[in-house]
Amino acid sequence: MRALSTPALYAVAFLNLAFGQNLDQIKRLEATGDINGARAALLRASEGSPNDAAALSRYAEFLDRYGDPATRQVYTRLLTLQRQKGDSAAAAVTARRLTALELENGDRESAVRSLEVYTTLGGKKAQIGGTPARENWPTAPIPGPLRSFARMAAMPADTTSEEILPALARNIVTSGYQASHSNEELEQTEFLKLIHRYLSQARELDKMAGEKKAIEVQSCEAPNVAELLRILGFRMRGGCGSDVVLETVNATRAFLTTDSGFPLNDLEQALRTNRPFRYDYRPTMVPVLFGPEYWVAGREKEKEPPDFLETFIGDPAICRLYLGFSKLDSETADALRKTAPFTRLRVYSHVLDFFGGMFEVRGGRAVVPGGQRSAAMWTELAGASPEQGGAFFDKLLAKDDGWLASLYDALARIRGPVRDYLVEPARMKRFYTAVRGRITSPGPARPVFRSNTDMMLLTTRLRLDSTGKPHIPGSLDVWKNLFINNPQAKYDGKLTRLATSWKEPDDVLEALFALSRKNAENEPLKIFMALSDLDRNRPKPLEAPTVDRLARSFRAYGSQYSVFSESRGLSDKSIGQFLDTAEAINKIRDAELRSNVAGVFDSLIGLWQIFVRQQTVPESQADGAFAALTSAFSQIRNNRELFDAGRGGVKTLLAAAPRGRSTATAEEPQEQVIDLLSGASSSDDAEARDLVTQEIMRILEAQRIVSLDTLFQLADHLESISKGEKLNNALVAKLTGRISEIQLPRAALSAVEKNSIAFGYWTEKHIEDQRRLNLRSVVEKAAGDAERLRDARGLLAPLMRDTLLAYNYAYYAPPGSQILYTNPVFVRSHDFIGNQGANHTWRQTEVLGSGWPSSAGGRLVGSLATLPYALAEAEQNFLIPAQTQALIWSDLVPQMILSAKIPRWWNVTPSQVHWVGLHLRYGRELLAEGAFDPELRAEILDQLSILAAPVRTREVGRLLEQGSAKEAIDRVTPSELFLLARELAGKRRDDGSCLAAEIVQLAQSSPREINYDSISRAFGSPKPTLANSYEPELMNLRTFPTLMGYSSRIMAESWESNTLYWAALADELAVRPGELNVRIPEWTQKLVEHIFASHLEDWPAVLKSLRLVGDDIRAKTRAASATEQKAALQEFPLR
Amino acid sequence: MNMIISRRELFGFAAGGALLHGQEGGQRPVFRIKVDMVVLAFTVTDNKNHYVNNLRPTDIRIYEDGILQKLNTFAEGAKPPVLVAEDGKTQPLVAGQKDPATGLERPDAFVGTNVFVLFDTSNFMYRGFVYAEDAIADFVRGLDRADSVALYTFSRNLSRASGLTRDKSDAISGLRKSVAGDDTALYNALLLTLRDAAKVPGRKVIIVFSNGPDNASMVAPDDVRAVAEDEGISIYTISTNEVNKDQISSGVLRRLAQRTGGKAYWARTWQKQVEAFEDIREDLGNSYTITYYPAPNPNEGFRKIAVEIVSDPGKKLRVHTRPGYRPSRTL
Repeated sequence: MRALSTPALYAVAFLNLAFGQNLDQIKRLEATGDINGARAALLRASEGSPNDAAALSRYAEFLDRYGDPATRQVYTRLLTLQRQKGDSAAAAVTARRLTALELENGDRESAVRSLEVYTTLGGKKAQIGGTPARENWPTAPIPGPLRSFARMAAMPADTTSEEILPALARNIVTSGYQASHSNEELEQTEFLKLIHRYLSQARELDKMAGEKKAIEVQSCEAPNVAELLRILGFRMRGGCGSDVVLETVNATRAFLTTDSGFPLNDLEQALRTNRPFRYDYRPTMVPVLFGPEYWVAGREKEKEPPDFLETFIGDPAICRLYLGFSKLDSETADALRKTAPFTRLRVYSHVLDFFGGMFEVRGGRAVVPGGQRSAAMWTELAGASPEQGGAFFDKLLAKDDGWLASLYDALARIRGPVRDYLVEPARMKRFYTAVRGRITSPGPARPVFRSNTDMMLLTTRLRLDSTGKPHIPGSLDVWKNLFINNPQAKYDGKLTRLATSWKEPDDVLEALFALSRKNAENEPLKIFMALSDLDRNRPKPLEAPTVDRLARSFRAYGSQYSVFSESRGLSDKSIGQFLDTAEAINKIRDAELRSNVAGVFDSLIGLWQIFVRQQTVPESQADGAFAALTSAFSQIRNNRELFDAGRGGVKTLLAAAPRGRSTATAEEPQEQVIDLLSGASSSDDAEARDLVTQEIMRILEAQRIVSLDTLFQLADHLESISKGEKLNNALVAKLTGRISEIQLPRAALSAVEKNSIAFGYWTEKHIEDQRRLNLRSVVEKAAGDAERLRDARGLLAPLMRDTLLAYNYAYYAPPGSQILYTNPVFVRSHDFIGNQGANHTWRQTEVLGSGWPSSAGGRLVGSLATLPYALAEAEQNFLIPAQTQALIWSDLVPQMILSAKIPRWWNVTPSQVHWVGLHLRYGRELLAEGAFDPELRAEILDQLSILAAPVRTREVGRLLEQGSAKEAIDRVTPSELFLLARELAGKRRDDGSCLAAEIVQLAQSSPREINYDSISRAFGSPKPTLANSYEPELMNLRTFPTLMGYSSRIMAESWESNTLYWAALADELAVRPGELNVRIPEWTQKLVEHIFASHLEDWPAVLKSLRLVGDDIRAKTRAASATEQKAALQEFPLR
Repeated sequence: MNMIISRRELFGFAAGGALLHGQEGGQRPVFRIKVDMVVLAFTVTDNKNHYVNNLRPTDIRIYEDGILQKLNTFAEGAKPPVLVAEDGKTQPLVAGQKDPATGLERPDAFVGTNVFVLFDTSNFMYRGFVYAEDAIADFVRGLDRADSVALYTFSRNLSRASGLTRDKSDAISGLRKSVAGDDTALYNALLLTLRDAAKVPGRKVIIVFSNGPDNASMVAPDDVRAVAEDEGISIYTISTNEVNKDQISSGVLRRLAQRTGGKAYWARTWQKQVEAFEDIREDLGNSYTITYYPAPNPNEGFRKIAVEIVSDPGKKLRVHTRPGYRPSRTL
């Protein structure tokens, strides 16, 4: 982050002298990223001519464009000046902008005043809605403080009373019950039992709190002390006074006391000091959707009046129904409640919970995918017309155990031509019939997570060709053949028979829909998606024979296919060559050699991926380099050949990558590689590059990696010895010194004690062999035999494997990298073979051996295909949550970390960062204006509904209508803000917004640099599971729910907000683009540590953390910047 | 290895060492061996296992790889450290200001012990959770006034329930707010605690209170132990398991404690836990803490430390300390 630098201060002074001539220079300062310099110059200019409205306007708009906190203040001054000068038109624009800014900041009173000024000055008549009013549902009491109950029910500490019941319902559905060991009934889990026990204790305390609703103890000897301690499960040890210690007497009660956060320590202190103790013990009143009576329906006749809370937590179906209803907007929920009786809805609560989130009733009608065009088909399929919204959804829920509802959900989530294609009535019926099958039970909502994940993936990721037909990779024949002559096994007997008569793409789609209903591994769909993704960005689709081979090899090599997405120009031949090489490596019988060959090959391909992705290797060179790498490894017979191939591979990569700012010589391949990994080919930001370089070097050092320079020099030296040169002792000592530092893994059993089928045998043998390497002895034993001396370089191949592998590890090292800094053989322990009998060589990277003290720590196994994810996964438990431990999500966190590590911003320009910042700020401006402009509001909500669920869209609309723009903005994600601005900036460029004008102007002035494709590449996130590609991309997706079979990786990949938010923050704080390579991983770590989520899809918790961390960084950076500026001014006072 | 206070200007060798990377004289960063002050804590016991107190600096000789070291400061128990002159005479350090003789930024940091309690709140500990809290609370209350205490809890992740403080009430308050549940990543948590402790000047110990088994750590216990050795942080372990129930975990805990100068206890019952804490407290109160700047030593690997009691020519006394450390490398 750059504060006002001394040169910038001189620039300011200079610019101040001749401002009129220097607007261009300010623009240039801005374009090069010297925002502070530009800001200071504009400030000086406005201060130098206090009556110049144009100068002040320029300054105000500049601040506005960068989200400066002084913006409002300067606009206020500008408005006064413009009004003084009688420039009503300009003043009206300023007043409107001020209104929006004030609403964004939650300053309603000022906004109302500014809006009045705006209308007085001739602006459009507008009004800010009334004070926010929520739907006031009747409430039910929960005994004790909200915070205590939230702790016991695993909810965030800041859960509001409105959020309590939906969160409780979710936690009870997911964690409250388990299958009983003895019968088919569900039994309560320990989690739920604890809630019951807590409520019981809380009621006792509530009774003790009495009318005052406060637990009061006047002194240590007060009569109620004993009773209070009994309830709490403690007793006093020692007499009253400083000796008093509270100790457990009833473990069950004491556990509840501490686990619920009762202020026991305060009580103990009060007893010790004989001071009064007071603890507010008011019950928490929580609003209940439709009122408590609705949920205890049917139990009124019981002897005791039913207790809402006990009824609620005692029935998982009620909780699930509540959860389902909480996902609906009020109109839809009301329509459904009025149409369907409670008892029936309770039966279908699982369907409502999973697939009800997209249900929408508007004006009494159901909003169905395909609208009017498909309405008749929806009527036919559901058995009720969408015209009767409540009845339609009632029927939809009750139909076929959830299959039709799941199709509705999948189609409602998408927009555009694919949806138009899929909702064509006849086609929709055909696909529905396929996915439904003949036997409907068990439906897709029965398991813990929705089971027909694949259908949602299919509908989301399907592409249409220019002909308007679905894109079928290769040709129809490829897919027919695959279904008929599948090399592994038949996918489905019926589909195999039908495949013989396939004639059109819909036949393939129908088969894929049909397979989506199966719980088993849906390989054809995975193949279809992977190959469609490969074709997606290619200028020319893959040829049919290539697709055929890839489809048939999917089971063995499918994990590797994301490699082919790295370069859009990768030829069919090169892809084929890769598969040939992989097959050839599989045939190497010597396990150790095979492991080393796979390791070197995989590591070089990994480096190729990195270089291509960060554009170190230009696209024009990518295919050639790839082909050279793959062909070099197709016939390796021994370590000497492996060493030569590896060395050749390094040479190939370095030849394909322009050196840029690297100062390394040709004799320093290690330095060249590290420089290139650190952005030397494209970035001028030496400071940021140095930080990244140092990080890589520290990891290589911690892993005791032998430098590539040393290895190559030794190989050359061995060649020279074979020609008669003497042994270079210094060079050999360099290697020997390093080897002596390599430790064996600190495991319970040594490699010798293990046998070849034991976990870790091959990796430990690999390390042991390196430790035993004595090059001097080898040279002596060769006794001048030239061929034996040449062979000796093969001994260096395993070391080279680890060096190349370490570059990959170091590049993707997650923030903190505790494992890489603590386990000195973590890289060397990478197991490319895995357990005997289960060949892991081409599988995804997996973390194995964690939590096993005798295993010498966890290690990674398999190929490097998912190395970034595996590293992040291995490291995630080292993050320290800011609030309560153990609420870090196991799948979301690795994806967030890899989204911060895979993209690099060496090629990004300050203008691109600024463009993203402008979008997010303009998105906020639009929302704020939506609070007093109904037409704009309708437009905004229409756009928002593309990404947000109906319930959230409605909520944002309601808040805007009520003038609560700040609260509305809080509910909109950065990716949604970006999309809003993208869609509306062009349309509204003449509306006087300086942000919209700048967005348009920047795009026009630098169309090659500033466009949505380049921004998507720069600030998107990698989606290896969802899109089979590590290329960062913005897909503008609706966030996915948790899906069975993919865990939550796809859900995590659909979250695209983080990098956009960081970019906007960087723009605001004048962070250099190159610096993002260091800052974004740091910021992401903080983000993760501050997430306090109560469930897997708790995106608001992520959003909250994102803003919290952003505000903290903002405050600290501005404070540091102010201090630096002050110091700089003292040192170089401007005269 | 303790890099508590950098004093390279006084000791030329501190920044010397092996050139491990890149070219000499070039602009690339190079790795160098970095050795600053070493803090060494030890206890001395007689043949009846009684602590031997009141030893003087002149009674003690420290060797690293057989090389005699010159003592810099000396302290016994929670008493303030004294500066040791060339002739073995001592003089008090002035608290709260930089000491010109030693270069210590915070001499008062060497008064008392910084105790990090690492409390296992994972599922394994569920049953004995509240009794364990009581035992820890008692221990914290009984610490010397000069001692500071931090209270960390862990299950799958670490949680800093209470930062390092001399206010024992703060620590107990943090302890009482801990939440139970989830997997056990003992060695991950211990590593993170070591990293925190390493940043604090002065004498540091970690007390691990756990059931023992680990089912989620990514780092191996012996790798964590190596960090503790290098940082000079003693680890005391109190397992609520039986010693023979899980022999792998028991062996690991024992090794961790022995190799870092700490002790291992197996205490299933609350009473045993209280006794274990008593013993640790006694150990802390009867230990000696000395500091020294290592004499030049070409060894870049593990440096063996030996403590010799001059006044015990018959070698009847037993010294309990860590076996050595590895100097670190920095860019």
